[in-house]
Amino acid sequence: MEQEKFEMWMMEYLSGALDESQRNDFENYLQEHPQHKEEFEEMSGTWIEIDKIQVPEPSERMDAAFFNMLHTEIEKKEDKKLGWYQGLQSFFSAMQMPQLAFGVLLLAIGLGIGYVLKTNPVQAPIESVVSTPNSETEEVREQLVLTLLEQTSANKRLQGANEAAKLKDANELIIKALFTTLNNDPNINVRLVAIESLAKYVETPEVRMGLVKSIALQDSPLVQIALADLMVTLQEKTSIESMKQLLEQPDIDNTVKQKLEESINHII
Amino acid sequence: MQELTNNALMLKVKSGDLDKLGLLYERHKKRLFGFFYNMNGNASLSEDLVQNVFERMLKYKHTFTGEGSFSAWMFRTARNVNYDYYRKNKMAFKQNEVSTIAYKLEDTDSIENTMQQRDDISILNRALQKLPPEKKEVLVLSKLKGMKFIEIAAILGCSEGAAKVKAHRALKDLRMIFLQLETR
Repeated sequence: MEQEKFEMWMMEYLSGALDESQRNDFENYLQEHPQHKEEFEEMSGTWIEIDKIQVPEPSERMDAAFFNMLHTEIEKKEDKKLGWYQGLQSFFSAMQMPQLAFGVLLLAIGLGIGYVLKTNPVQAPIESVVSTPNSETEEVREQLVLTLLEQTSANKRLQGANEAAKLKDANELIIKALFTTLNNDPNINVRLVAIESLAKYVETPEVRMGLVKSIALQDSPLVQIALADLMVTLQEKTSIESMKQLLEQPDIDNTVKQKLEESINHII
Repeated sequence: MQELTNNALMLKVKSGDLDKLGLLYERHKKRLFGFFYNMNGNASLSEDLVQNVFERMLKYKHTFTGEGSFSAWMFRTARNVNYDYYRKNKMAFKQNEVSTIAYKLEDTDSIENTMQQRDDISILNRALQKLPPEKKEVLVLSKLKGMKFIEIAAILGCSEGAAKVKAHRALKDLRMIFLQLETR
């Protein structure tokens, strides 16, 4: 047998790796090979002696150090695992009542300021956009009224008189144009509509005075009656004198005469 | 069977159940301590090195696949720990050689048979410490209870046959050193 193979076999025998049958084979081999038997006896003596080298028991310090290390590692691991959860928890714990209320208050103030700053610049243009067309419409309407009242067509002048009633505020030019129509327009319907339009501005003393004076200037019974009704409605006492002047006219219509007398009586 | 359980425990440690390392420690602390003690003859140092082994097992738990023997993996780690310590403290190791043996003799209270026996074991111990580390470790590993040559081969990174041959040569050298010391 090769020396190396014997050495390996011997180590298997010494280490207890062989079963009973294999051990018998090895022992029988040694009986038949004295040189290897001698070598085995020398080596086995040292092998067995090694077992006699006493190894002390490890101290409790080793156990304490190990478990201390292990617990530290476990705590580190748990800290890592809980890291995100604790982060959230600490965030929410910071949101206790006083802080939360203060935070909400700040948020509300911020939103309020934001709303005011945002809405004001927007509203102003809207108003200007709306008011601009309105003022422009008024101007256009005024020009339209003045133009229509000067037209030769009765229908156009009628339309002009109607448009004048739609104006919010009549300026001096419009009022003057309406009185010109009332006192001079050949068409009765146009003059009647002019009365309706002027009735809208009776709060102005000049309009009231103009209407009173116009009573004596009218030759149409319908216009006279319309003015008389308006004076009664306005309870304009200054109009009595004008109506009396009209009554004194010789060609006055009887219906008008009765109406004027009734109106004078109502106003008084 | 226990080896299977060792593997299962270490796989649990690997998966994050670090408590299981405590069980592995209780099972293997004496063998590991014995390995280091026979390697360096210093009980206090051996305790520190056992601690280092378990710290490394935690640090490198991801390298444990569970396919091989747990003991082989553990002692491979122990071997690396021992080499690292030896490399870092080479000078101090040599200077303390005598004192560590003395420390060991103080520990071994059970050596009380005859003066001759005591002398023989003392000489054998000195001879063991004089063995080169690579020979000493194969011999110490092969003397560990339950350690098979196939596991030693896995620890040393060689074939089973080579492990047996290395163990035989280490034993032969130990005997040579012992005889030399004995005749002085």
